[in-house]
Amino acid sequence: MSSRKKILLKVIILGDSGVGKTSLMNQYVNKKFSASYKATIGADFLTKEVLVDDRLVTMQLWDTAGQERFQSLGVAFYRGADCCVLVYDVNNAKSFDTLDSWRDEFLIQASPMDPESFPFVVLGNKVDVGEDKRVISSKRAQAFCQAKGGIPYFETSAKEAVNVEQAFEVIARNALAQEESQDFNPDFPETIPINIGESNQGCSC
Amino acid sequence: MASPLPPDEDATRGPPSPASPTASFYDMSDDEEGDYSTIRHSKSGKGVKLLYAKSKVYVHPTPSAKDNIAGYIALMQQKPAANSVSSAPTSPSAGSSSGRRSAETSNLLLAWVPEGSLGDAKSIYTKVELSDSASPPKTTYLVPPPPITTTHSSSLGTYAFAVPLSDIFSILVRPPSTGWWFGSIVINTRAGDSFPALFFHDSECQSTIDQRKKLQRESFSISSSEGGGMFWGGDEVLRWMKRYVTVERSSQEPSVYMVDPNDADKLSFGSGGKPTPDHVRNALEGKHKNEPAQQKKKETGGDAVVKALTQARWTFLEKMSQVTTFTRRTAQAVAENKNIPPQVRRLMANPQVQTVSDEFDSARLYLARWAMGIAEQSERERSQRIWSAKDVLEMEDSEVGQFEILDIDAQGLSLADKRQPVTLKEWNGFFNGNTGRLEKTPDEVKERIFHGGLSADDGARKEAWLFLLGVYDWNSTKEERHAKMNSLRDEYIRLKGAWWERMVDEQGTLEEREWWKEQKMRIEKDVHRTDRHIPLFAGEDIPHPDPDSPFAEAGTNVHLEQMKDMLLTYNEYNRDLGYVQGMSDLLAPIYAVEQDDAVAFWGFVGFMERMERNFLRDQSGMRLQLLTLDHLCQLLDPKLYEHLERLDSTNFFFFFRMLLVWFKREFPFEDILRLYEGLWTDYLSSNFHLFIAMAILEKHRNIIIDHLKGFDEVLKYVNELSGTIDLPSTIVRAESLYRRFQKTVEAIDRKSNFPAAPIVRQRLPQPPTSPTGTRPGADGRPRQASSGSVDRRRPSSSASASASTSGRERTVGDHVAAGIGAEKERVISPELRALLSRDIPKLEKKEVRERGGGVGS
Repeated sequence: MSSRKKILLKVIILGDSGVGKTSLMNQYVNKKFSASYKATIGADFLTKEVLVDDRLVTMQLWDTAGQERFQSLGVAFYRGADCCVLVYDVNNAKSFDTLDSWRDEFLIQASPMDPESFPFVVLGNKVDVGEDKRVISSKRAQAFCQAKGGIPYFETSAKEAVNVEQAFEVIARNALAQEESQDFNPDFPETIPINIGESNQGCSC
Repeated sequence: MASPLPPDEDATRGPPSPASPTASFYDMSDDEEGDYSTIRHSKSGKGVKLLYAKSKVYVHPTPSAKDNIAGYIALMQQKPAANSVSSAPTSPSAGSSSGRRSAETSNLLLAWVPEGSLGDAKSIYTKVELSDSASPPKTTYLVPPPPITTTHSSSLGTYAFAVPLSDIFSILVRPPSTGWWFGSIVINTRAGDSFPALFFHDSECQSTIDQRKKLQRESFSISSSEGGGMFWGGDEVLRWMKRYVTVERSSQEPSVYMVDPNDADKLSFGSGGKPTPDHVRNALEGKHKNEPAQQKKKETGGDAVVKALTQARWTFLEKMSQVTTFTRRTAQAVAENKNIPPQVRRLMANPQVQTVSDEFDSARLYLARWAMGIAEQSERERSQRIWSAKDVLEMEDSEVGQFEILDIDAQGLSLADKRQPVTLKEWNGFFNGNTGRLEKTPDEVKERIFHGGLSADDGARKEAWLFLLGVYDWNSTKEERHAKMNSLRDEYIRLKGAWWERMVDEQGTLEEREWWKEQKMRIEKDVHRTDRHIPLFAGEDIPHPDPDSPFAEAGTNVHLEQMKDMLLTYNEYNRDLGYVQGMSDLLAPIYAVEQDDAVAFWGFVGFMERMERNFLRDQSGMRLQLLTLDHLCQLLDPKLYEHLERLDSTNFFFFFRMLLVWFKREFPFEDILRLYEGLWTDYLSSNFHLFIAMAILEKHRNIIIDHLKGFDEVLKYVNELSGTIDLPSTIVRAESLYRRFQKTVEAIDRKSNFPAAPIVRQRLPQPPTSPTGTRPGADGRPRQASSGSVDRRRPSSSASASASTSGRERTVGDHVAAGIGAEKERVISPELRALLSRDIPKLEKKEVRERGGGVGS
């Protein structure tokens, strides 16, 4: 069919257990939500074909177990990642606090050529739960992302399909940019400034 | 004047006239019959001629041996129907014409009649059975005609049947060659029906015993003429049939014997026509060119696909346009076809599949999975038809397929009986009626449970599991157990109180309190997503006790709350380790069986003693098991191992989930109960789960070798096996693998007992001292690093290393030879040797403290 080289974008989804990694992935790929996904054991991935600027790419989304001790064995597939998605639960402070160590751990294990510019995306999930339960404000999350070199940030609900499509569009775009920068110019990966999504209300820091 | 009878018989009894049927009661087509008298069944005036009979052929209508129905399989000859005869213009001399043949074969009936229904005729059956079986008896024996059927419908409630040979399409023959089950045959009709499997209880059958003896006398061998296994009843039936019809073994499906196959049958089924994309498409769409032989579809669908895909080497996939239309067009049909396994239907529902043709790679992987799915389905259909033979090995074409025949008659209890579940009644019978002390040895009981499992619905598990899990001592009296349980209940309440206080009073250091809160949340989340499809855990009928819980809105039920309590209590009880994800999966079956939180808790504690190593912070226990699986695969299936090596997949990470929670995510809940109780017996090995894993891997080795091209594909493929694996046959294959492994080790040990003692170039497996230091991938080259360390550890790998350098031309046999110890330095690794042990691998308290990752000490 296509004579063009097939592009496979490898995306790793990380975050504490129960923040909704599996749900986000399934919402994006299968447009489905189930409250009863079992806790992920080991690793699994879903693939989805998407068009990014007229280019057909295959996204391979890797889902992992959230409890950190299970990461040590499964890092084999971190290698060659094009983008890393960090997920936390906006109603769970601990899951937000650990984002930094998830990021560090990923950079150690995946050892990308240019860690400074490696694309991350942060997702604050479960915004459907309700403001009274919420413990991490948009502001705080955005401040964190800003401090980490301007990581794109989205607030999502896998349950109600809020912002999921938009978030993964950015993930795909950034992953593609990363992939191409490695092919043609390993020293200069282009970062694409992102401003999509109603929850990106600017930053105060 | 048309007559179906050959001349010699005409001469004997005068030319029969179709116009006056009473002149003869049966067609006499047998060429060896000279003069004989007729012994009629005493009560009925009419009958059919009994040519051959064999006793102790059973129908097994349920899994329980007590429901088995004994009967006779028999070949009978009936009088030709007047109409059909008169319309067949057969001349007496047309002996070789097909017209005669089919007329004749429609008068020959293969029948099964229950012993109980024979009445007076039983003595006739016995006589025929025991007469010299080389040819039909000279004397003509008449028996009441069985009802002639060409289809089987179990709803009729009767199992007896008599089917004309001309209506038989094929016979599925399962010899007792594994040593684990009765030989069986299934008759498939041209109408596409199958009769219930007939099981040959050869050790009870006088004629088979006699025939074996005779064979032994004559040729000092009791092997069957069909090659391979021991002579058995089914051989005899095939021999009968071959006297009258052509019986041809299918080349594609060695267990299938076709009866009078025509050319079309042979082409698509027998001698193996070239598979074409058309052929594949037909198979995938579930239709066949020759619709009348609907049968064939069932029998060959899967194999045709697998074969076609394998042989064509996917070359047709290169014609992408073809594939594109082919997959798109069939997608819908397949999604709606109930005969397609759910796994494949799920796949079809996936929108991704719609675009499958856009991607060569995904098409390949997807079709591979599809092919295997259909192969699985055809196997399942087979095993439904001969349901109790489903544990018969299906490994004919795999390299571990050659198994030794165990002496099935050697032990008192037949192996079929051993595979029946232990009922509560049988279980209670193991114990002294007064003291309640076990009167058998624990090993005897364990062996029974290992092979048969425990009855699912009479409460046998409730009691037996407590022994298997070490809550009760095997040697205890009823009274002692009672006392033990009382004190355990008290202890559970005490432990539960401890965390309750912690929760209320916020005791402990800040760190401890944080840890505890985190653990509580983790347990909460996991319990709410553990086995919720089981009715026990499905309800949301009570309000959540904690309004702040994320599940407060959804509600909960009393069993979920019990689960949380037990896991929190365990978290408190084993603070060195604490709760780790996956534990809820392990607790759920125990709780579901016991349905008493204190009892289930202590059962779980017993289970966790052996499972602790799976949950250590540094994952050393999981590493060790994955490494052992690596060694096992290398020893038992070097070809597959080489392939996995090429795919950078020898980390065996794709088995992580199966090993962590003992296949909990792969099998339905009821299967898990049966699997776990078997594994808990440690009957063959305390690491028998690794042989289960190996059996699963082995089953799919051809697909993996032929179609999977990368680590990610292997992982995906193995993950998606979930829900598709047949447990009983997997257990049987695992046992066979174990025995094979054991023999291999023995062989190697014998070799290495020669004077030049092997240099043991092995290190004990060393769990990583720092979690990051030895992580695969820490240096960015994970798999190389880990396989390198394995190589150093295992001298044996030099064999495979040389194999890969000297090209791929080495045969499987060479590998096996290398594996079995042709080279002196072949040494069984300590990881492998540990598999021979039945001692449960438990961790020292100290180890758990150091590597558990909890807050203890």
